[in-house]
Amino acid sequence: MSTRSSRWRKYRPVIALSILSMLVCGLAYPLLITGVAQAALPYQADGSQAQLGGRAVGSYYIDNGFTLPAFFHGRNETNPLTASASGVDPDITVAEALSQVPRISNATGIAGSSLVALVKSHEHWTLWVAGTPYVNVLELNLALIAAYPSSYPGYA
Amino acid sequence: MIDAIQSLIVVAILASTLISGSLLAPYVVRVLTGTPTRLDRLLDPLESAVYRLIGADPKMTMGWREYLFAVILLNVAQMAIAFAILVGQGVLPLNPMGFPGLSWDLAFNTVVSFGTNTNLQHYAGETALSYFSQMTAIQFLQFTSAATGVCVMAAMVRGLRPGSSHLGNFYVDFVRVLTRILLPLCAVAALVLVALGVPQTVGGYVTVKTVEGATQRLLIGPVASLVSIMQIGTNGGGYFGANSAYPFQNPTPVTDVLEIYLMLLIPTTLIFAFGELIGRKKETRPILIGSYGLLAVDLAVAFLGSIPAVGPGIETRFGGFFSTFWTVITTASTTGSLNASLTGINPLGILSAYMGMLVQATPGGIGVGVMYMLMYVVITVFVVGLMTGRTPEYLGAKITARDVKLVMVAFLVHPIAILVPTLAAFATKAVDAIPGFSSLPTSVAFTQVLYEFTSSAANNGSDFLGAAANTPFFNFATAAVMFVGRFVPIAILLALAGSMIGRKRVAEQSLRTDGAAFSFVLIGSILLLVVLTFLPFLILGPLLAYFQGLVNFVG
Repeated sequence: MSTRSSRWRKYRPVIALSILSMLVCGLAYPLLITGVAQAALPYQADGSQAQLGGRAVGSYYIDNGFTLPAFFHGRNETNPLTASASGVDPDITVAEALSQVPRISNATGIAGSSLVALVKSHEHWTLWVAGTPYVNVLELNLALIAAYPSSYPGYA
Repeated sequence: MIDAIQSLIVVAILASTLISGSLLAPYVVRVLTGTPTRLDRLLDPLESAVYRLIGADPKMTMGWREYLFAVILLNVAQMAIAFAILVGQGVLPLNPMGFPGLSWDLAFNTVVSFGTNTNLQHYAGETALSYFSQMTAIQFLQFTSAATGVCVMAAMVRGLRPGSSHLGNFYVDFVRVLTRILLPLCAVAALVLVALGVPQTVGGYVTVKTVEGATQRLLIGPVASLVSIMQIGTNGGGYFGANSAYPFQNPTPVTDVLEIYLMLLIPTTLIFAFGELIGRKKETRPILIGSYGLLAVDLAVAFLGSIPAVGPGIETRFGGFFSTFWTVITTASTTGSLNASLTGINPLGILSAYMGMLVQATPGGIGVGVMYMLMYVVITVFVVGLMTGRTPEYLGAKITARDVKLVMVAFLVHPIAILVPTLAAFATKAVDAIPGFSSLPTSVAFTQVLYEFTSSAANNGSDFLGAAANTPFFNFATAAVMFVGRFVPIAILLALAGSMIGRKRVAEQSLRTDGAAFSFVLIGSILLLVVLTFLPFLILGPLLAYFQGLVNFVG
């Protein structure tokens, strides 16, 4: 009996602390953060969802999978050799967006110069100064629908 | 090459981690020495309750054997809990996606990986782990392995400190590091990350109809709480298979810079804390110059190559510059999170990543980075002593033949744990089980397997292979390498610290270790040691690929 109780004394801190640390670090901490985030920052906490016509159509941070000629396309539908690291890169470079302008202009009748201006007005930079200028494809297409509702019947 | 603005960004980020580290260090020293802080009124009663609950006497002190025994036992017990959770997640709560339990070998690999602060991942979290597993297995072990790193460093430093009589109490260190450093810091970082666009929910994946009407699932979950400890604790294991390239983990260039900063924050803080903990503030100098000097070398090597354009493996919002920068920092801090696919990084960037993982102290993983640097310091003191014909001394204590043998064994664990399994993987044809592997050029194939074991042994966790290495051979081989790479050096360095207790100290060392001259000799000897050990293998891998003119590792 005495050896059993001395063994328990020896191993009790290890057993108790491993369970306690799991409850605190693995449950209390993430659930507390979830509670605060959901209360204070629900939009971001739920994945920064984009709305169109009163319904969620995706997240600004996830490629929306555009394929119709009337829209700007992301980089993830083509072949794996040009794919991004995440496979859901929501952005394309400005150069890539501009190369798609003639196709969109053809499909919608919107003047190419207006499309170029729209791309330029939605330009992002990595930290404002570095990298290659880029655009968010979903943001750009939603702006396109808002600016030219008659060219996109049934979307807005 | 990078331009002036990009160079300025690099300097600004490193400067901010150095400043933050020096400001945070006095607080960390108070936590590790039990000096009163403002949080005491809130936390003291809580901690007393914890010690009563677990039945540990906070006033008891430990020798190195007791301390090490407690470290290994607690870590193994925590891995066992996480193992049960991963295997049983199918019947556990918070599993709205209905994922089944993990296979035994994958669960074993995963808990060893997270329990050793490695975070090599042979699964993709978004398609394999329930919310419950992401929290109670992954985030749990990320906290405890990070806390363990700080504890063992504190214990080693206590042993080295002149006039020391014990290594402290592991349970007290562990509880205080969690409640007073990691949990508060991560809570703040997690909420900032949410504000910047990282999701945090347990409400289940959301299904939407896209603009064009297709069905899309948004893979949201408790991401921010994981990302905070994964970067701050230099863990690196992501919520998603694509890690920090996946936009929900790292949505903007602003979060990218913040996460780079977080990876360096605590390892840098602990360098500043070292001098105060040891009682000789100037002894921080060689550790600081050594680690940041070598980090500068790594960055210079990586940026010497051509910076990849936005293309295969590179996310548009980061571009080649931030992807290369991140790759260097994540390996130098042995974190292992990636914001690009390694296949998109140029061969010199990969060479630099290898350097970070082979040195393990630039500034290295949380806590253990300083320990490895101290290992190099002892080796350097010995070599310089031999060359100048003086008695090797560190912190006033004579460095004996036994000390040098111990640190050499600690150093040699690393190449043995990397090179033997790498050769075994090719000799036994275990690599053939990796999908698509046979079609790669030899230099690329060799680089990827060598990287897998280097990353495992360095407890880094970044990799080329990812879920493709979910084979029994790689699951068990890398688990063994991760365990040995973590606990054997810790055991040896604690033994070294233990043997310094009660040793006679001289007031004036014949060779000073706190000056600039020693710091540069230290850098030289680290480069010499690491390069001599690994150069033949680096030549067969990334250097060959570079001279073959490969732009990246797409193959």
